[in-house]
Amino acid sequence: MAERPEDLNLPNAVIARLIKDALPDGVSVAKEARMAIAKAASVFVLYTTSTANSMAQKNKKKTVSSQDVFSAMKEMEFEKFIEPLQESLDLYKKSMQNKKEQKEAKAKAKKEVEGKKTHEDKKNGDDDSSMETEDSNKEGSSENGVEVLEIS
Amino acid sequence: MSTITTTLIMAGTQDNSSSELLSENNEGEVTEANIDDTGGGEAGEEEEKGNGCKLPLARIKKIMKADPEVTLASQDAVFLVTKATELFIESLTLEAHQYTSQARKKTMTKRDLDNCIEAIDALAFLDGAME
Repeated sequence: MAERPEDLNLPNAVIARLIKDALPDGVSVAKEARMAIAKAASVFVLYTTSTANSMAQKNKKKTVSSQDVFSAMKEMEFEKFIEPLQESLDLYKKSMQNKKEQKEAKAKAKKEVEGKKTHEDKKNGDDDSSMETEDSNKEGSSENGVEVLEIS
Repeated sequence: MSTITTTLIMAGTQDNSSSELLSENNEGEVTEANIDDTGGGEAGEEEEKGNGCKLPLARIKKIMKADPEVTLASQDAVFLVTKATELFIESLTLEAHQYTSQARKKTMTKRDLDNCIEAIDALAFLDGAME
């Protein structure tokens, strides 16, 4: 089912914010222009994806990697993005790593606590929301029976 | 222009502290208080994203999946595409604004956008996509 760019929109509020932040004070943007930028952004995603995917395919890979995205930037003549993207990626990876470690540490601590007490203190479903792990594409709550992972 | 872009981008990446998982459905997960600088209450679309992006990764991922040729994309790749799109929006805005200010106007119009799409090679892919 082919979906056209209009059907896959990015949130307007965020886009409006990005536009506003980019401009000096006192400049406003016509609604039509804002919509056009939003559309352009969606098209950009598609174009980048397609280009990056071609890179992956060239390397006989099935998964689009970060390297493919960098190559795509170059191919698309957006080299100026490469450096800031690299920096952002480094930060992102670090924070993902931190997050993972925190999660593991808490899960471990919780196990220890539960080992000592009996029924007393099962802080279950304490209003903590479900955890979603993007990297294994587990959509929906992944409460694996035994532990409720909580972040507080 | 690239100096301005770089400055903006640096500013944009400075507010990364702890991260959140990649999810549009993070409710009430307050970790190290990474409240991003949304100034609050933007139509519920924005949640705490510790990943340094304002745009939702899940949405971008959906768009990426719309391409029938795409099988899988790594988490990092999705992040990068999201971030690149933010950079693109900033960049496009600034380019269009050149035309706005040249015309001594205070409001950016679609016309300004059309002009810069025509003028800049890298934006040729947008030609015809904006109607």
